[in-house]
Amino acid sequence: MQMTKGLTALTVGALLMGTAAVADPYEPYEGTTLVVNFPAHPHFDAVMEVLPQFTEETGIEVEVDQLQYLRMRERQTLELTKDEGDYDLIAYVVFSKADYVYAGQLENLAPYFMNPRLADPNYDAEDLIDGYVQNIGVAGGERGYLPGPTGSLFGIPFGSETSILGYRRDIFEEHGLEVPETYEEMLELACLIPELEPGMGGLASRAASGHHASHAFLLHLAPLGGRIFDNEWNPIVNSAEGVAAAEALQTIVGCGPEGSETFGFAEAGASFLQGDTAMFLDSTVFAGQVNDPARSQVVGLVDWAPHPMGVRRGSQTGGFGIGIPTNAENKDAAFLLMQWLTSREADIAIAIAGGNPSRFSTHRDPSVLEVHPHLEVFGEALQYADPDWRPIIPVWGSINADLGTTLSQVLTEGLDIQEALDGVAERTRATMQDAGYYTWTSDN
Amino acid sequence: MQTANVNRLTPYLFLAPAVIVLAVALLYPIGYMIWASFLNWNPSQRIGEAEFVGLRNYMFLLQDGAFRESFFVTIRFAVIVVVLEMCLGVGLAFLLDRKLRGMTVLRTIFILPMMIAPIVVGLMWRYMYHPSVGIFNRTLKSLGLDPVPWLSNGDWAFASIVIADIWQWTPFIFILSLAALQSLPSSAMEAARIDGATGWRLIWHIKLPLMMPVLIVTALLRMIDAFKVLEVILVMTNGGPGLSTEILALRISRTASEFRELGTAAAMSNLLLLLLMLLTLAMFAYTKITEARAARLRARAEKDS
Repeated sequence: MQMTKGLTALTVGALLMGTAAVADPYEPYEGTTLVVNFPAHPHFDAVMEVLPQFTEETGIEVEVDQLQYLRMRERQTLELTKDEGDYDLIAYVVFSKADYVYAGQLENLAPYFMNPRLADPNYDAEDLIDGYVQNIGVAGGERGYLPGPTGSLFGIPFGSETSILGYRRDIFEEHGLEVPETYEEMLELACLIPELEPGMGGLASRAASGHHASHAFLLHLAPLGGRIFDNEWNPIVNSAEGVAAAEALQTIVGCGPEGSETFGFAEAGASFLQGDTAMFLDSTVFAGQVNDPARSQVVGLVDWAPHPMGVRRGSQTGGFGIGIPTNAENKDAAFLLMQWLTSREADIAIAIAGGNPSRFSTHRDPSVLEVHPHLEVFGEALQYADPDWRPIIPVWGSINADLGTTLSQVLTEGLDIQEALDGVAERTRATMQDAGYYTWTSDN
Repeated sequence: MQTANVNRLTPYLFLAPAVIVLAVALLYPIGYMIWASFLNWNPSQRIGEAEFVGLRNYMFLLQDGAFRESFFVTIRFAVIVVVLEMCLGVGLAFLLDRKLRGMTVLRTIFILPMMIAPIVVGLMWRYMYHPSVGIFNRTLKSLGLDPVPWLSNGDWAFASIVIADIWQWTPFIFILSLAALQSLPSSAMEAARIDGATGWRLIWHIKLPLMMPVLIVTALLRMIDAFKVLEVILVMTNGGPGLSTEILALRISRTASEFRELGTAAAMSNLLLLLLMLLTLAMFAYTKITEARAARLRARAEKDS
């Protein structure tokens, strides 16, 4: 009897084990080594802390090639053109989406999410931040780089960012200032603060020639109602809204800390961290530094608010996504890693370690808010993340550089804004013409 | 007869492998760059997939205002820094060409800047030019003077990159000039002194003409380098404000990496190469003339002594 019971127990145990083995979607890939390419970036530093858990749970090894961001892009450019690539999963910066997808170098993720052996039914894609998914993950729909009936998913946001307003609570309280909710209020405060606190800048913004000036301008363009192109790719950067955005940038730089015209992202951030400026409007990735005593002199003095509203809400979307190269060796296992990294549980763990959440729910999670209370405001701001705040087209690099150098001339040489933007629009039209964007328009 | 032929050919046969390897190593990349300049090529494509567009990239450059601006900024930068560095470097060489205590240490200190990595030089100067915490503006403020917009005004930014370059590369001119000065034939100096030449006359009429072949090669090397300077300016101004400090090397780098137009970047590089080749040929021609002049001077001095 005893023996029978023992045998039954063994049999049930073996069956359960067998069932568990069959139900383990990772089992076929156990022992596989995935090679992934990540940038040196605070989010991916946090990912590195969580990654060993994946190997522990799945038996899949992960080798990470973490490179400085520009080097990562160069490396990927070479890797993705090979017949057999070294990378199974890559992190890509948002504007690489246009280049990689157009060149057929990223896997369409539909077959993976359709595969019952790979797709986790509890993945909850609805919870992924919509603005990020549209901006970073989807291509082939509206305007080529946005979702739409013809669009597909090529990547999942991972290490994505939006814009947020940081402000000095102590300065605001001391002078009885209200946190700005509109552009009008923000611009007024930006120039009032230097009067109230001599020597202090109102708002730290990047404005250096090239990408930085262009980025700062675009931050204001979407909320003030503007766009770079209309629906037929005609440049409208010189519209009244474009002029208003450039004027906003000019006001901010004029009332900003000394030397603002030369600030990149790092210098603008440093000015805020050193206590030289009362407000900071830029990417959420900056928030991690504010309460780090090694970097900041304003520890515990900063609060956050959503990007102020102009004629509409429209904060930036950007940062990184992850995708599977078409020349990857272990695509299915790479998909499993991708799914795991962007799952609810991993998103929470990465956020606690200091990464940028990809899910709405993470911004409400009590265990995350206990460590990073500011994420609650970031979650609110993300509802207004604008996936179309900047065009993601292959020729954007040269248009962006032209816009940025011209705006720098506006800020440093006093170029007339309307004339300067008219020039940008004219040159942008020529670039778009060369790239074939007017092939189908009737007046061509 | 046959043995004589073999003997004549032997050196060439021994040299041939090295010459072939060198020619391939030198010419292949140049040929590749020339071929790339005729293509509409982006980094997502292999070179074989790129569309052949003939001279379109060159035609585009002729009409491109930003390229023209970069071209003139580069020429202005190269000419100004080379002239100033030559004057300062040669001047310092004359000043320090004497036997004084501690001179070896002083000379070593002088050459330190050129040993520092350009990225570090760029960062260092960027922080020294910082509008509020930089040493220059802090000093000006402490003296009750207005701060200078070092990097936020086009003209000042250009002056700032010139100053940084002079600081880093004057020692190069100094070292070569000093070496040339110390290797001048003592017989020529003695002859000049016997003829009554002292001070400025000795420098102007004897030393400088004798040093000229070395100085020309030195200036040429600096000129080539100044046309290709990238890192220091990239870090200090990234070409701004506007396009005021966007030298050609920076434009080429941005065209290739930011705009992803490898064909256009190759065309720019070829134009830069052509310009440098013409410059080098002109300098070599001038060197020949000055070498002949120096040789005549040397011969006359030796005859006099």
